[in-house]
Amino acid sequence: MSSPIKKWSHSNQERAQRLLESYPDRRSAMMPLLYIASLEHDHVSQDAMREVAALIGLTAAQVESVASFYTMFKREEVGDYLVSVCTSISCFLRGADDVLDAVEQACDARHGSTSPDGRFTVEHVECIGACGGAPAVQVNYELIEGLTGAKAQQLIEWLKDTRPQVVLADEMQQLFGGQRSFDWGGPEPDGAVAPVPAFAPYGSTAEGR
Amino acid sequence: MSDLILTSRMTEHPTDSHTIGRFIETGGYEALRKALGEMSPDEIKAEVKLSNMRGRGGAGFPTGVKWGFLAPAEPRYLVVNGDESEPGTFNDRQLMERDPHQLIEGMVISSYALGVDRAFVYIRGEYARSARRVQRAIDEAYEAGYLGENILGSGFSLDITVHLGGGAYICGEETALLNSLEGRRGEPRLKPPFPAVEGLYAKPTIVNNVESISNIPWIVSNGGSSYAAIGPERSAGTKMLSISGHIKRPGNHEIIMGMTWRDLIFDLGGGIPEGRALKAWIPGGASSPWFVPEEHLDTIVSIDDVAASGSMLGAGAVVVMDETTNVVAAAHRIVRFFAHESCGQCTPCREGTRWLEDVLKRILDGDGRPQDVDLLLDISDNISPGLLWPPAMTTICPLGPSAVSPVTSITRWFMPEVEAMIAAKELAHG
Amino acid sequence: MADPTQVTITINGVEHDVPAGEWLITAAENVGDYIPRFCFHEKLVPVGKCRACLVEVEGPRGKSLVPSCTMPVSDGMVVETESAVATKAQKGVLEFLLINHPLDCPVCDKGGECPLQDQAYAFGPGESRFIEEKRTYLKPLPVSDLVLLDRERCVLCDRCVRVADDIAGDPLLVFSERGNSVQIRTFPDEPFASYFSGNTVQLCPVGALTSVDYRFKARPWDLSHTTSVSLVDTVHSTVDVQTSRGRIVRVYGIENDAVNEGWLSDKDRFAFSAIHADTRVSVPMIRKDDRFEEATWNEALQLIASRLGGYMGSEVAAIGGAHNTNEEAFVLGKFMRTVIGSAHIDSQIGDGINPHLAAAVIPRAVIDDLDSASTIFVWGPDLKESLPVLYLRVRKAVRQGATLVVVNPAPTGLDSIATHVVSYRAGTGSDALRKLSSGDGDMAAVRQALGVGPVVALVGRTSVAEDPDLTECLAAFARSLPDAKILPILERSNIFGALDMGLAPTLLPGRISIDSRHGSDALEAAWGPLPDHHGRDTMSILQNTIDGDTAALLLVGTDPVADCPDPAVALAALEAADFVVAVDAFITESSVHADVILPAAVWGEVDGTVTNLEGRVQRIRPSVQATGQTRTLYSVLDDLAHHMGVELGASNLSMISKEIADIAPTYEGVTVDFLTFEGDPNGVVVPLDNATQPLGYIPVDIPVPVVTGEFTLHFAGSLYDDGVWVRNTEVLKNLPRKAYVRMHPSDASRRAITAGETVVVAGSHQLPVALDDTVAKGTVVVPFNVRETKGLVAAADVTVDTLAVGE
Repeated sequence: MSSPIKKWSHSNQERAQRLLESYPDRRSAMMPLLYIASLEHDHVSQDAMREVAALIGLTAAQVESVASFYTMFKREEVGDYLVSVCTSISCFLRGADDVLDAVEQACDARHGSTSPDGRFTVEHVECIGACGGAPAVQVNYELIEGLTGAKAQQLIEWLKDTRPQVVLADEMQQLFGGQRSFDWGGPEPDGAVAPVPAFAPYGSTAEGR
Repeated sequence: MSDLILTSRMTEHPTDSHTIGRFIETGGYEALRKALGEMSPDEIKAEVKLSNMRGRGGAGFPTGVKWGFLAPAEPRYLVVNGDESEPGTFNDRQLMERDPHQLIEGMVISSYALGVDRAFVYIRGEYARSARRVQRAIDEAYEAGYLGENILGSGFSLDITVHLGGGAYICGEETALLNSLEGRRGEPRLKPPFPAVEGLYAKPTIVNNVESISNIPWIVSNGGSSYAAIGPERSAGTKMLSISGHIKRPGNHEIIMGMTWRDLIFDLGGGIPEGRALKAWIPGGASSPWFVPEEHLDTIVSIDDVAASGSMLGAGAVVVMDETTNVVAAAHRIVRFFAHESCGQCTPCREGTRWLEDVLKRILDGDGRPQDVDLLLDISDNISPGLLWPPAMTTICPLGPSAVSPVTSITRWFMPEVEAMIAAKELAHG
Repeated sequence: MADPTQVTITINGVEHDVPAGEWLITAAENVGDYIPRFCFHEKLVPVGKCRACLVEVEGPRGKSLVPSCTMPVSDGMVVETESAVATKAQKGVLEFLLINHPLDCPVCDKGGECPLQDQAYAFGPGESRFIEEKRTYLKPLPVSDLVLLDRERCVLCDRCVRVADDIAGDPLLVFSERGNSVQIRTFPDEPFASYFSGNTVQLCPVGALTSVDYRFKARPWDLSHTTSVSLVDTVHSTVDVQTSRGRIVRVYGIENDAVNEGWLSDKDRFAFSAIHADTRVSVPMIRKDDRFEEATWNEALQLIASRLGGYMGSEVAAIGGAHNTNEEAFVLGKFMRTVIGSAHIDSQIGDGINPHLAAAVIPRAVIDDLDSASTIFVWGPDLKESLPVLYLRVRKAVRQGATLVVVNPAPTGLDSIATHVVSYRAGTGSDALRKLSSGDGDMAAVRQALGVGPVVALVGRTSVAEDPDLTECLAAFARSLPDAKILPILERSNIFGALDMGLAPTLLPGRISIDSRHGSDALEAAWGPLPDHHGRDTMSILQNTIDGDTAALLLVGTDPVADCPDPAVALAALEAADFVVAVDAFITESSVHADVILPAAVWGEVDGTVTNLEGRVQRIRPSVQATGQTRTLYSVLDDLAHHMGVELGASNLSMISKEIADIAPTYEGVTVDFLTFEGDPNGVVVPLDNATQPLGYIPVDIPVPVVTGEFTLHFAGSLYDDGVWVRNTEVLKNLPRKAYVRMHPSDASRRAITAGETVVVAGSHQLPVALDDTVAKGTVVVPFNVRETKGLVAAADVTVDTLAVGE
């Protein structure tokens, strides 16, 4: 049988193989592989799930069952920038709903949808662990803390204007952020290239898409 | 910010506390050297037990006792729970981003003590920065010989894998986390069997929280009894508290337990912004029943004192609400969170949390009915019979009962406000 | 001393002794305290999800609520199932289940037999407190060709998912989404195409899963129920046949732990509708020139009597009887041997094995032995395709820890759970067996695994192209394994009953060898003289018909043109025969050549007993009136004998049954009445304790030639083939898969054959190629008895040619 991932980039094929072998049980590679597959397909498409199923030796239904349990495996197409606005209790208390309104307007997309130009997908999310810097937003899972409605709007306009290939939390925080949960410490060079958490073993900024 | 056990390095070295160079320079991996060089696994376990450290993830079960339950079958696993997702908590995030080597050192020592040669750090997917920092630290540790084969020539070997979650609060529950790590839906398992007997891949497994494991190097360096001597007897050591909401100085604070909530909110937290009055606070994350100033300002911040007052310190997330807070709206937000995060496998949680959310939403939208208060409480009672804390449960895990906390809190402390809201809306609708 | 297998528990203040380790919910039910449940099912691993069964159990820190379905009983346990707290919890769960459940009971198939409806009625509040919007989903969703899913009705009990995943091994039906949005789903374009899908419908505790063929057909209170046995294969699963207004509308599995444990294959469950098909032969027909004309029974029997009376006994032969009851088969044998005077009788049609091995191998296993086997050895047809319910039992044994060894030239359904899979080239089975038994080289581990008893060996022909003598050798080898028992594998309906009734050239009723002086003497004492010649088997009968030695053929529910290894021989024989009578339910490729067709009553219409592959005799019962003028075989033959001037004494069931119990030694005492009133409701394995089995057959290792052409044929059946039952069942007839020649990629590349290319098999059949590296090299795998392979000769040696240019 030919490899189900022969269309993947060479580095992602290698990553997939390494992941499958790196756990005591191949099935443990499921979630890492779903992230890689969503990089390859821009989202966790049906083909992506079929490929992951074939790699592990499961049915596609079993993979869909897992993928659909988690919020970060997007089974619908998402924009270049996934803007996640936290609206849980701490952010709510500090004005998260205003931030969400501003983001929806600036992106021209209601939460749970993608802007007509395909650039932004807006969602409101539950607590992202930035309560000390509430309200907080993530762009492709890169964090900005201490936003206001106005700053959030500027953030979106900036994304529209500069169209960054790599989304860097430090840069966005510096430009638009405010109160942080804690001192973030030294600079962090890596950022996200897609609406998938930027993490080298599953795909990193270094290698692009 | 205090600088007792966990946070002194990051406080003193704001730009590079996460690097191996700074870590070693500030005494890092000395505890590991001591553990591997001078101590037997049993001796380490004895020190941890002596420390009286109670698990920092929320349940507060003594870590040393938990370790004692690990079954002898092989292989065994250590899994570190970095799925910090309880609304209000962000202390593990700081520990992972700012001092990842402290966590790794704790993991190596713990693995040695537990007879484990394979460990995992499960980090929630939204914490990409934490994952990168921990992964980079792991790479550095391998390079420097603190991980991998024959660590420091001791003959002990350990591999650590960072595993990213996919966005599911419930995976913070240890058996759901194990299912997730096995590539399954993050549904909590029935207990027994407990993970220490049948955990990851049905093998004996210890699941510890990031903060718990981060304490291990200090305990090994300074001895369990030194740790036990810090703070109240049954809340030994320090605790990272995350303070958020309507508070002047939000953030993580490493404290010695034993102060009052008044001290915590008004001194450490700086009080309520803009001169507003304190209305209520959540003492231990969204799951915990609320505290109010009239009753609880002089209650002691300790695991047992908070429990004695009908709530819990949990993972140490304090969410402060001032007088402007619409408590029904706040409760709705929290209930909505639990409904959204319910795994859906058991009936009372799947159906009940959503029902509570819907009723609260209806009240907020002006369609509340007088009988809705009783309805909310009876739905709650069918999820968490008796409405006590710690809760009795009709559910598999405590997520469903957690959604009950805000409901019982607002009906207990703010009934006039709830009733007024229902009545006003009724009036408005005419 | 206390009995260690029992513990004492207190339920609602009353002490009970109950089996240790039993689930509390079961223990309570067995002592009369029924606890509500939706997710719990005895045959599934408990999951504790629905929470309907919460009870209070006293513990060190007082009473706590626990799900009784996941709580094993322990000594001294004190339980309250109806305390205020327990009752409130149970009612609370019921309310939670109802808030999003649609109120469409009046149009729901489950209405009237719905646990949710029943419990809501018994315990639920009069009116709903839920005024929010209910969940809605598009409905219904087909999850397969046979099953529909209505997600709004679903209570997410996980039964269907556990059936699909744990029981059937087809994890195609899964939970999707989470929280309040959790739902059961299949993946797009990957339907729940399991052979066991219907079990999910039966186990669904609400009307969420319904079967395509039963939807809106009947209401439960209108149904009549008959306990019977499925005759779709030789497992003989116990079934509840449900009828409404004179038609069978539904078949459910019954939990007979000795046989099917409640499970059915979809063929067991759905193939019943063929009996109501318009294509049934319902009146006698006589050939006039090139067409059939309807006739009266009297005309038809008169004609047959006069024609048969014109031949010598040995010029008449009978083929078939495997689809009949034991009583019918017995009468057929008696008719042939006494009225006609012929020994040429065979119920196998060249696709079987040595009848002595099938009927009387010792030591013979029962299905239940699989549960306690350490090692299971399967060298025979793919059980998933041939005997699906037995396949489930093997899966269960493996789940419980048994070692499984599978040997086959082609991939089989059991491979994925087998400890060892041994592949060999079709036609070289005797070589493979020699290697396996010696444990040489790479066979060492397999041989070692087979050395751990008790062993249960399931042996048969892996395909019709395989030499039947190989099965003999397999059985002989299996017999040498520690604590070994053997289950001979044949697939067709009541073939084991037919053999036991003497429908074989070398067997007399009751497992008597025709060569046993003692046995045949006893039979002659009852029946008078038996034929003085040896019987011929089917292929020999057919050849002799072509050669002219056999003049008249009696085909009884058999279709040799479709099913025998050499269809051309069968066809030539039917054309050469002087006179052919077919007793059949359908016009088949064979019966279409008959001179007279007699309409046969079939399963669902006939009464009697049948015998499965273990030798278990069970009662089958009629559920509906026989279609049209169809009749049971015994009454036809009794009448025919009468027309020929002989009284057969077979005019009613109890008469025949008594004769079998009297003169077929293995069946001593096993009458219809015994099975109905005195014996085990699960049937009995013959011989009973005091009875005898004259023939105890010990298989022998015999030389089997090895075939070594360029290609050898593995010609194996599949569950959905072109047999009459599938062909005439509306919901099954489109399920046979497209036929391919499957071959190893290296064989294909050697011959420059590419995937999807059409090739010519055996010089006659054009089929597309599929490449499969799990097929043994040199072997081509072709599906047996499907439209595309009709007429292909089942011989190991086969040719594969590419199409000539321009073809």
